[in-house]
Amino acid sequence: MSDPRTGPAGLFADLGTRAAETLARLRLARDVEVGCSARRAVWSEEKTTLYEYLPLAGAPRARRRPLLVCFALVNRPYILDLQPDTSLIRRLLKAGFQVYMVDWGDPDDGDRLRELNDYLEQGLGGCVRHILDAHGIDSLDLMGVCQGGVFSLCYSALHPAQVANLVTLTTAVDFQTPDDLLSKWMRDLDTELLAQAGNVPGDLLNALFLALMPFRLTQQKYVRLLTGGADQRAVEDFVRMERWIFDSPPQAAVALTQFVRWFYQENRLIRGTLELGGRAVDLKSVRAPLLNLYASADHIVPPAASAVMGRLIGSRDYTACAIDTGHIGMYVSRKAREEIPQRIIQWLDAHGSALRPHR
Amino acid sequence: MTGNPFATGSASDAAFTAAAGRFFELLKTFTTAPAAAAGQAPDLSLLGAQLAAQFEQWLKGSAGAGASFAAAAGFPGGSPGWPPGAVPLGPAAAGHGSQAQQAWELLMKLGSLQGELARYWSEIAQDAAQRFTARVGGTGAAGLTSEGALALYETWVQCAEEAYAATVRKDDFCRLQAQLANTATALLLAQRRQADALARAWGLPTREEADALQRQLRELRQQLKERTAAPRPSAPAGKAAPRKAAAKPKAAAKPKAAAKRRHAAPRRARAGRRGRS
Repeated sequence: MSDPRTGPAGLFADLGTRAAETLARLRLARDVEVGCSARRAVWSEEKTTLYEYLPLAGAPRARRRPLLVCFALVNRPYILDLQPDTSLIRRLLKAGFQVYMVDWGDPDDGDRLRELNDYLEQGLGGCVRHILDAHGIDSLDLMGVCQGGVFSLCYSALHPAQVANLVTLTTAVDFQTPDDLLSKWMRDLDTELLAQAGNVPGDLLNALFLALMPFRLTQQKYVRLLTGGADQRAVEDFVRMERWIFDSPPQAAVALTQFVRWFYQENRLIRGTLELGGRAVDLKSVRAPLLNLYASADHIVPPAASAVMGRLIGSRDYTACAIDTGHIGMYVSRKAREEIPQRIIQWLDAHGSALRPHR
Repeated sequence: MTGNPFATGSASDAAFTAAAGRFFELLKTFTTAPAAAAGQAPDLSLLGAQLAAQFEQWLKGSAGAGASFAAAAGFPGGSPGWPPGAVPLGPAAAGHGSQAQQAWELLMKLGSLQGELARYWSEIAQDAAQRFTARVGGTGAAGLTSEGALALYETWVQCAEEAYAATVRKDDFCRLQAQLANTATALLLAQRRQADALARAWGLPTREEADALQRQLRELRQQLKERTAAPRPSAPAGKAAPRKAAAKPKAAAKPKAAAKRRHAAPRRARAGRRGRS
């Protein structure tokens, strides 16, 4: 008698059973929630909302400088607070930080002419000014993630006095490194035409990101989950992650095309030719101590695109660290759970994030 | 992908069952691979051809690869929906000869570019199949266990990604992809001009007019901000008056209640997150 687990019939029966069991768990995970820390909206202008995370019960009420987190336009920021065991926000709250988050909202057709400078000065700048006023201080700590890291660098260059410490995660400064596939694909796009065509739906950007590694991202990961005997908790974690991946806001036409042209096509940030609102953005003006964390296996922001940052900024206090994970792994992997928050908290502690009263 | 497949249970099930379906189809192909005769290497050419054909088909229709380019080109089957598909102008637009001609030429160009793209999908599929058959060598499917099948699948994905990466990084592929997107966008804009001509004839507002109004609105907002950001004479002592005076827009003082209202408003795929991040 043949082994029922071998041969085509046994093989299909075994893997079919595994897949059916996982699908049943997936159905139970349909209504899983994302986001775990309580927060309140404290300021808004146009589509941008500033949230303040509420302190955790039992967390030390340290006199720390407020920390503003600036995420990318192309994804939702709740990835940093997806679930309790991986939430960077929660770790920061536990350490006694006062954490704020910029939520860019969803641009509609009325925002199609909104420019990058509007996002920077009205959006990020509005959030910064609100926090400084609310706390009666001159400067805050800023953490920029991915495209939000680029914004944070630009803001720090234009308003150096308002940023005491800067942390960047998965942030590119050189947009034309040889291994940057996204950059290669952007190189010959006609941005004038794109700007006229209107806002770009989030679904299209998702498809573009998936197309960077289509078999791993649209096939393999599902097959692995279906056949890997994942328990209910692992399935729920997976669904939360998927919900975030596919929950991308549309992009304002002009701002997106400016980003494509100025950063990807013309690499203005490292060439020193970037101007926003008529002012030159000189990375040498970034004088705040800077912690730069990037992923060594990042397919969206290749390590070389970020590692060059230290040579370009004006700060003498620069710490870089390559984390052994991929782009998404920076937010939700075991590294995200342990190493990354620890590094950020220790670095901020060492850089005097203790609050000093406003002069 | 159209929308968030994980926003609803049924869509999520569909994403997984589709992936599972393709996986089992692939396994079926693996298990039909001929076993090697004693002392001889197996003939894997049939397996390679089958894998390549399945793979090419998937590339053409996949949301992850083919369809995103197809969508950029505005072709049916390109699901992400941008640029929007052809404007259904029909015979009403026939009066605008040069515009209709231009749109027609762009459509023809898109078809030609799509044909070029299909050649790349074929190249990737062939390359992946060759890499796979070379790598698995004489490994037969007879007596394949579940774990062995999964290992074979992992090898296939690795070969597919390598073949894909080798092609899509080429300069000519990147140029083609940009051409597709640019031509599709030009077609959309040409069709919009036709639609605008009709709207104008019927006395309806056009895209141009909407854009002009938006620009005026932006200018007015900017002027309002500049006026309201004038230095405040009664800045409280001890506050950072110079900094505030220089930069803070009046809108920054928007009541918290308004922010809360917006936060509570239902948004796509955000149900269940109210009050949380």
